[in-house]
Amino acid sequence: MSRRTLALWCPDWPAMAAAAESDLPPLHPVAVLSANRVVACSASARAVGVRRGMRKRQAQAVCPEMTVVTADEGRDRRLFEPVVAAVAELIPTLEVLRPGLVVIPGDRAARYFGGVEALAEELVDVVSACGIESQVGIADEVFTAVLAARHGHQVPPGGDRAYLADRPIADLALEPSLADPSRTELVDLLRRLGISTIGAFADMDVTDVATRFARDAVVAHRLANALPGRVPSGRYVPTELTVDHACDPPVDRIDVAAFIGRTLAERLHRRLRDAAVACTRLTIEATTERGQHHSRTWHCAQPLTPESTADRIRWQLEGWLTGGRRGRTQDRPDSPIVRLRLEPVEVVEAGALHHQISDGRADDPDTEERARRSLVRIQGLLGGDAVRIPVLSGGRGPAERITMVALGDEPTPQRDPSAPWPGSLPQPTPAVLVETAICVLDASGGPVTVTERGAFSAEPVTVRLPESAGRGRPACWGLSWWAGPWPVDLDRSAAGGLVARAQVLLDDSRALLLCYRGGEWIVEGVYE
Amino acid sequence: MDVSDRADELTVLRRRLAAMSGRPDQSSVEVRDPSAGVLPIPEALSEVLPHNGIPRGIVARFDGANSLLVALVASVTRAGGRVGIVGMPRLSLLSAVEMGADLSRIATVPEPGADPVEVAAVLLDGMDLVVLGRLGPTGSGTDSVAPSRARVVAGRVRKQSSVLLVAGAGWPGAQLSISARVLTYRHAPLVSAPTDLDSARSGYGRIGGMRLQVTASGRGRQSQSTEVELVVRGQGADRTVEMVSTTAVRPVLAVAN
Repeated sequence: MSRRTLALWCPDWPAMAAAAESDLPPLHPVAVLSANRVVACSASARAVGVRRGMRKRQAQAVCPEMTVVTADEGRDRRLFEPVVAAVAELIPTLEVLRPGLVVIPGDRAARYFGGVEALAEELVDVVSACGIESQVGIADEVFTAVLAARHGHQVPPGGDRAYLADRPIADLALEPSLADPSRTELVDLLRRLGISTIGAFADMDVTDVATRFARDAVVAHRLANALPGRVPSGRYVPTELTVDHACDPPVDRIDVAAFIGRTLAERLHRRLRDAAVACTRLTIEATTERGQHHSRTWHCAQPLTPESTADRIRWQLEGWLTGGRRGRTQDRPDSPIVRLRLEPVEVVEAGALHHQISDGRADDPDTEERARRSLVRIQGLLGGDAVRIPVLSGGRGPAERITMVALGDEPTPQRDPSAPWPGSLPQPTPAVLVETAICVLDASGGPVTVTERGAFSAEPVTVRLPESAGRGRPACWGLSWWAGPWPVDLDRSAAGGLVARAQVLLDDSRALLLCYRGGEWIVEGVYE
Repeated sequence: MDVSDRADELTVLRRRLAAMSGRPDQSSVEVRDPSAGVLPIPEALSEVLPHNGIPRGIVARFDGANSLLVALVASVTRAGGRVGIVGMPRLSLLSAVEMGADLSRIATVPEPGADPVEVAAVLLDGMDLVVLGRLGPTGSGTDSVAPSRARVVAGRVRKQSSVLLVAGAGWPGAQLSISARVLTYRHAPLVSAPTDLDSARSGYGRIGGMRLQVTASGRGRQSQSTEVELVVRGQGADRTVEMVSTTAVRPVLAVAN
């Protein structure tokens, strides 16, 4: 059975992509350089004599008005993606050999479109609708089709070998995505041996080739003979991964929601597995009967497993259905949930994630796993936010320099810890952090504040707890030492006004860190 | 057969037996050197604790100044151990970082719900040190557990060869009790000799460290106490806080050449 392969080639793709990105007119000469050598140039540049492999100076001497850009594979791929999408609309299975070159298995598609020629025409039309010029080659084998695409040829079925016979031997190394890096040397060697066409190479006995040349020569020999090679691997463009579930009957109980969450998680992970991706960021959205939405995106440092997905669905719905910890009614859904949607927002190639194990110190994976399992169990008992991992963050006060993230989330600090943070509190930091309002008083019992110039309004002598109704005299301590205040907020016009910190030693030998914020003093930490 | 060969073979067989019974981490089989079965502590404390550390598999009580607790957490994580902190939302982990802690090895459960002891017991499976700051739900004022329950948890600690450190609460049958008390605060910057904060001038300088008295007592041991000092070392962004024995902080007059 003969098989047909189509190759769609966009000439000078790196140059075209560069021109498209910098919005150059179509006929403006462009050259793409890598390591000071021209790797691609537009047709107009080629017309005046720019060639691949030229030095930058040489190329600019030939064509002074030419725009020169550096090679960027990211740009090539990015701009080629719309073309792939457009072709995938037409034929879902395709393989991108490199940006600018796509191969398509043609048998079934050709039958659908009523002939290979019709399919080729259709393809060129679709691509030109994207504003890109392209050529199609048709042959039995991938390699032959790629060569044919460069000339826009159609090779009759079974005619691959005859088509290749007259091609110069250099064509074996013409397409880098189909050739080993050592192919150029092979071609050079063959040419020096007097073999100038692919046909002459194909006529050699395969045993002789295998015994005399490197291993790649055997592959090249197969290509030259047009022997059946690999077929274009039909990459399906990522399918819809989102899982949508209509709850019937509507859900208003946590246990039912958790049960549905489990099945949905299984379904989502089956899809992810089929697409060979892993999910690291998932949006869970619930809709009620009256159209109220509740959505949350879970960021995860590790790819989600079916169990962790089910856990997250349960935590989110539990929090919503019970109105959170505060149990406020206005936070609760107004009617039962009728729709659940799981949308993977960020997926990675499965197996592409390698986790750093704490600053490179090799841990016993067994211990690591035991620690993780016990923490996940706590999460299962108490909810997703119960287990928190500290991350060093930037800031000036002792409390803001540690960001607590829930286990499983990405450990991102709230503020950049490597920034300078002038005015941050010097070491040592109080071992206990509290937040208690306190009054700082001077000798006459009047409140002490911090002036605009960053000094005490009067010398502090005593501190006492704020008076509260129904209790006796609030506790009061004398100060045996104080230091400060040190203003920390550089932008005093900001809301909250001046922020300053001070250290005091109480007469019962306790040292406190005080913070003045918005005209009030609070105890921020205890040195103990 | 040689005697040492036989001993080695016995060790191998015991280990295999332990692995088969699903307890590969049991220290009674693995560890023969007593100093290997301890959690590392700051060097300054080695006088008061046997084997330079807290022996694994015990329940210890802690009382008093939390700086010592933070220093213990820091020294355990720095040596590669994992620490779980249950029910202590007010403990400053920044001060642990200053003492050299590795934050990625710390997990906290600030609100352990109705039964913090159960949470700590689960954490014992995976952590080397579990610090338990509260025995009952918030505001319940529970300050002890039933002896029967304490025995069960202690058994789990022994089996997992980790350490449960109960802070600021009673624990029937705790094998070790550590307490710390602030003696004086140090005034910074140091001008000549270390100055205590009581004698320092108000409005000048800042708190530069503190002196702690650490007392450790345990079953069958005399209560021992030592004095340690928290000092700030280094300059600028690399400043760290170290716990040193008070004898070592006396300024030593080095003579050039």
